[in-house]
Amino acid sequence: MDDLVIRSVSRLVVPFIQLYGLYVIFYGHLSPGGGFAGGAIVASSMILYGLSFNLEAGSRKLGHDVSSFMESGGAIWYLIIGLLGILFGSNFLANRYAGVSLGTPGQLFSGGIIFFLSLGIGVKVASTMITLFYSLSGGEDSSGSNN
Amino acid sequence: MEASPLVGVGILLLIAYVFFYLPRSQIRHILVIVILFMIGYALVVTVAEMPVFGSANTPAYNYVAKRYLEGTVAETGAINVISAIILDYRAFDTLGEATVLFVAIAAAIANLKAH
Repeated sequence: MDDLVIRSVSRLVVPFIQLYGLYVIFYGHLSPGGGFAGGAIVASSMILYGLSFNLEAGSRKLGHDVSSFMESGGAIWYLIIGLLGILFGSNFLANRYAGVSLGTPGQLFSGGIIFFLSLGIGVKVASTMITLFYSLSGGEDSSGSNN
Repeated sequence: MEASPLVGVGILLLIAYVFFYLPRSQIRHILVIVILFMIGYALVVTVAEMPVFGSANTPAYNYVAKRYLEGTVAETGAINVISAIILDYRAFDTLGEATVLFVAIAAAIANLKAH
């Protein structure tokens, strides 16, 4: 899609969409939102970039290796935080009973593991949506055709 | 509504009879329409028996919701109750959701890369 208006507007808008997505992820325990919604917003900014420029440029911005690393890393990050609860002498994914400091409610760094779990979910949802979009649209032919 | 299990079993028997034994004919079409009307009637009756939206007597408003609303800030430190439920009280369930996403993307990649 080679249109000057769409390219100019999306070049202006994409950073703000990404910033808003990160805000929704990081403030998930203080305001409406969370990992799922914020990850979807971040992924939609990358999808907008790929649609308004071309698909090859979009898939070069976030290659297959990076997105698969984010995909597995989000799940492993979630599991590691859950196993830390066992390591500190409580249940899997324990928050307060594992001795995590809860902080003052209303501050950014409060809520114990909720902040970190939300970050992992956000990374995972974003990489899932981006990978699914570029796979279904056929934008990364060069990376996976040799196996 | 003591008759509703009997009605359900009757509908299932009728569906099994129509779809497995009846040949393709005029009577089969009529019976299919009758079955669709019966299923639609059951759905409408179910919806009519649901509690009114927003009423205080809903069965979902039991001690669990009260406990969440009263104890979230003290127990998790988060002021968004929904985030506290999905990432602290029900964090294991959210791990299952993440696994669903992972399996979905793995299946999609495996199918698309095979071609």
